[in-house]
Amino acid sequence: MPYEPDHVLLRRYHEERDRGELEMAAQTWEGLVVNNFDRIKQSVKAFRFSAGSRGLPQPEWGSAASEAYLRVIAMGANFRKPEVGRFYAALAKCVHNACMDYGRKDLRHERHSAGSVDARFDPDGEAGPYDAALAAYDGELRARSIDVVEDELDKQDAARLVAWGIGQMTSDKHREVLEMTYIKKLPAEESAQQLGITMDNIYQRRRRGVLELEKILRDSRA
Amino acid sequence: VTLERDQILSEFIDAWNAGERPDVDDYLARAPEADRGELAGELLAFLTFAPTPAYSDEALQAIRHEPIVADAHGVAAERGVVLPALLTGLRERMSMSTSEVAGELVRMLRLPSSGEAKTASYLDRLEQGKLEPARVSRRVFEALAMLFRVPRDELEGAADMGGWAAVSQAMVSPAPVFRADKEAAADVSRHLEVLADALATPGGERRDEVDELFLGGR
Repeated sequence: MPYEPDHVLLRRYHEERDRGELEMAAQTWEGLVVNNFDRIKQSVKAFRFSAGSRGLPQPEWGSAASEAYLRVIAMGANFRKPEVGRFYAALAKCVHNACMDYGRKDLRHERHSAGSVDARFDPDGEAGPYDAALAAYDGELRARSIDVVEDELDKQDAARLVAWGIGQMTSDKHREVLEMTYIKKLPAEESAQQLGITMDNIYQRRRRGVLELEKILRDSRA
Repeated sequence: VTLERDQILSEFIDAWNAGERPDVDDYLARAPEADRGELAGELLAFLTFAPTPAYSDEALQAIRHEPIVADAHGVAAERGVVLPALLTGLRERMSMSTSEVAGELVRMLRLPSSGEAKTASYLDRLEQGKLEPARVSRRVFEALAMLFRVPRDELEGAADMGGWAAVSQAMVSPAPVFRADKEAAADVSRHLEVLADALATPGGERRDEVDELFLGGR
């Protein structure tokens, strides 16, 4: 089956469901989830319990990704929103929840093996006695932010949302680099040539822009 | 922020947009140890709303052969539903046996403790794909969702996928079609009467609360 863009698959899935063609809708949804497998898998690997902290232990990656993948498939039974951005946000929430759940499993395991979390406290180490609890707290905050993002995505599709977010950026320099990154999908080298700036500048503007865009997409819904 | 970190993020973005299927782990490994946590957050920020690349046929084929993808779709096709695989995964992640899950459900649903073994049996059938999820009460899904800390919608969604899989299997193996001859009605009528009598006969044992929860539907 050749590649088809997400928004095409999502639209067709809704059309097929509306016509009662559930078998076709299931196949179309499967195609959509397959398209996004890498997003799921790589997001699991990049997941952190809080900014800059540790992520899931490597042996848990496969199980967490597998669970998240099944949960995204399951979403297909009831997914009502036609916007592809809504799908991305729901997917991010699934991955986040699956990773958090695996984090809780680790915490339980630590409690069972060590008697208590406090007993493992190392005042000179990076890990503190409240790491897991703080991680869970941060995770809940993050999940809430994603909920808010989903609400906004009810009104706008992903491309428009990202374009809108880019348009909100205060820095013209970041805005033009992100348009080339997300909308035109130009490689860094080509962007540098078009803008007449160095590669180092492109790298820096991309990082700052990606973080600013994410912040805009979260904060604008608060 | 090191220039190296900026460059690594940027190279990941280019590889992603080009459909080259970059691996987060490889890129994190290139960053200095102290930068990895921050870089991971930046990669995740990009991944959340990154446009899905236009994958080549080869890349899509490779994705379909990934063990997680092949297993998920294989299990769904083989066992008819997504729910069994998901339930099994969730239970194992919680390091709980089916009996322990049953014990928790009995407590949460305020069932008599004598119903624990029967609840475990139903749960086992549900995990094996031998119990139609549509027959299971919403209260059971609510309790399982609470126990496993997942949204109830996701569990019910996994259960609802069964209808799709059932349709799919029916299409793969179409039922044979027979044309009745003239005597068919007379031949079949006595069997139908026996069947009707059997269906109308009350069962010897009444359903209890556990049966209702697992067989009574939503």
